[in-house]
Amino acid sequence: MRYVLIGGSAAAVSAVEAIRSVDKLSPIDLFSDEKTPLFSRVLLPYYVAEELSKPLLNFRSADFFEENKVTAHIGVRVREIDPQSKTAAADDGNTYAYDKLLLATGGNAIIPKIPGVDKEGISPLKTMQDAENIYNFKGDRAVVIGAGSIGVESCISLMRRGVRVTLLEQLGHVLPTVFDDEAAGIIRNLIEQMGIEVITGERAIEFTGNGRVQSVVTSTGEIECDNVILSVGVRPAVELAEKAGIEIGMMGGITTDGGMMTSCQDIYAAGDVCETFDIARNQIFINAIWPMAVEQGRIAGSNMAGQDKQYGGSVRMNSIGNFIGIPAMSMGVTRTDECSYADEECHFQEIKKRTQNTYKKIILKNGCIVGAIFIGVGQTQRSGIISILLRRQIDVSDYIQALMSNNLNFMDILPLLRRYGDKFTEPEYKELMDTGL
Amino acid sequence: MQVIKVDPKKCTGCHQCELWCATEIASVAKELAGAINEEPQPVPRVYVEGKKLALQCRHCVEAPCLDACPNGTMRRDAETGLVYVHEPTCIACWMCVMVCPFGIINPSPTYKVAIKCDLCRNMGYPICAEVCPTQAITVEPRQDYRKVF
Ligand SMILES: Cc1cc2nc3c(=O)[nH]c(=O)nc-3n(C[C@H](O)[C@H](O)[C@H](O)COP(=O)(O)OP(=O)(O)OC[C@H]3O[C@@H](n4cnc5c(N)ncnc54)[C@H](O)[C@@H]3O)c2cc1C
Ligand code: SF4
Ligand code: SF4
Repeated sequence: MRYVLIGGSAAAVSAVEAIRSVDKLSPIDLFSDEKTPLFSRVLLPYYVAEELSKPLLNFRSADFFEENKVTAHIGVRVREIDPQSKTAAADDGNTYAYDKLLLATGGNAIIPKIPGVDKEGISPLKTMQDAENIYNFKGDRAVVIGAGSIGVESCISLMRRGVRVTLLEQLGHVLPTVFDDEAAGIIRNLIEQMGIEVITGERAIEFTGNGRVQSVVTSTGEIECDNVILSVGVRPAVELAEKAGIEIGMMGGITTDGGMMTSCQDIYAAGDVCETFDIARNQIFINAIWPMAVEQGRIAGSNMAGQDKQYGGSVRMNSIGNFIGIPAMSMGVTRTDECSYADEECHFQEIKKRTQNTYKKIILKNGCIVGAIFIGVGQTQRSGIISILLRRQIDVSDYIQALMSNNLNFMDILPLLRRYGDKFTEPEYKELMDTGL
Repeated sequence: MQVIKVDPKKCTGCHQCELWCATEIASVAKELAGAINEEPQPVPRVYVEGKKLALQCRHCVEAPCLDACPNGTMRRDAETGLVYVHEPTCIACWMCVMVCPFGIINPSPTYKVAIKCDLCRNMGYPICAEVCPTQAITVEPRQDYRKVF
């Protein structure tokens, strides 16, 4: 068996581990066009903030490839794959034969078509190279465009470096895909208290400057700046797949079957490059987050090595971590109208609990959790209990009070798990069900 | 692999395990008299809540926390199969907290580190099992239920 993996990040590394757990010997060739291997993209804002030095960005030890007997082609781009001859052509001039191939090419940062966007001092934050460019930004005034989680983290990183930052978001509130209005309001206050200027409901329409960016022109004004970070989203990097005639879905990602195989025999896909079934939305969606890339990589890798694993579907999950000073996380949908295919039969419920500094919300569809938000100290530790109930789509109608309680703990929901025992077959659950409680 | 078993018929909810876990593992003093006066308060990795049953990390077979951790801080010991936090590299992103189905990872606000049970991997035998006055907590080999049924 010959494996070729394209991409060297979360999904590909997870696939390596899955392959090696069953197939210790077959050759694996892994390609990554980024020069730095094994760094975690999630940590780039910490690098920009000068909180972590480069060696600390690694998510696996430096000898990972060696230890797993992987021939790593770092800094090498795969130009083309040919499903007929089962080969991959790389820009090192060589052609590599495969029996099983994985596309884990991730996503590309979206560069909005705004006049002047190619000026110096404007960069997205996606690759290590981007992070280095931003790290070396000169000047003390920056604008961050797009208030998604990468945008918010970028702002805070720059602010910690002593830069004056303005965050510009065209929608009505910050973190529009992560939080509802109320949660976003809490976060916005915290960001503003840090000294970051937040402007919502306004879009950038031009970048001015002579070679180098000098200001951002918005729908109502102009913000002077030395640098701009673009964080308006990522788009699946499907160029290779498209050229090879692999099916691309409605959302613009590679489509796969339940075992992560693409429309093309023996070619698999995993991570940000894929669209998958979103359990909360009940529709195909792109959930470009780290944990999903790892899960999908594991399923793909296992199946490439001859096993038969099915992917249970993805869920969006975000944690803003320690960036804003208090824990804040959300999963699934943030508002009921994000659920597609809702018909009259669907019954939605939103349950909220708010104190001055904390906020908790659960969204139910026909009794099953489809979304949740947790903000503030004391609200987050038990969020994982909600996440497992969401992922397995358990009817929690008669447990709402327990789930909303500040004292929620796993033992409260054990009877519920036992009721749906066939959905919780792992030993770690059975061990507790066994206790008779 | 070895895992902790808890017998609810024996657990009286006396919180000895919590107390000793916090003292042995988390406190600076390592003895109770000193530990209770420490600031910040040492936190345990085992929770006796609601129903009488001590709950700690279940060391899941396919652990969601391992998938979620974006920098390899959450690790599995190759020999014992135990899942543990490599504390020096934790960035307090709480991704693991968000996915642990048992809710037993404590996002420590004081130390910016995820805190959870590692079955006392550096001590040989878990302190909670050692101190439980009724032997409600025991260490036993994991059974593969999927093979049994
Ligand atoms: C700044 C930032 C912060 C983030 N924060 C979080 C967070 O807090 N939580 C979270 O869950 N997620 C976060 N994410 C998202 C997370 O990083 C991604 O979901 C994850 O990295 C996806 O992994 P992947 O393996 O699918 O793809 P990627 O990480 O995108 O890796 C794909 C790799 O393949 C390479 N490649 C592409 N095409 C080729 C080719 N033809 N030949 C060779 N190599 C190729 C690319 O250069 C890239 O290195 C963040 C992302 C960014 C950018
Ligand atoms: S921390 Fe939670 S998810 Fe991780 S192994 Fe322990 S019980 Fe499982
Ligand atoms: S909080 Fe620490 S252990 Fe948990 S996911 Fe983040 S880095 Fe990993």
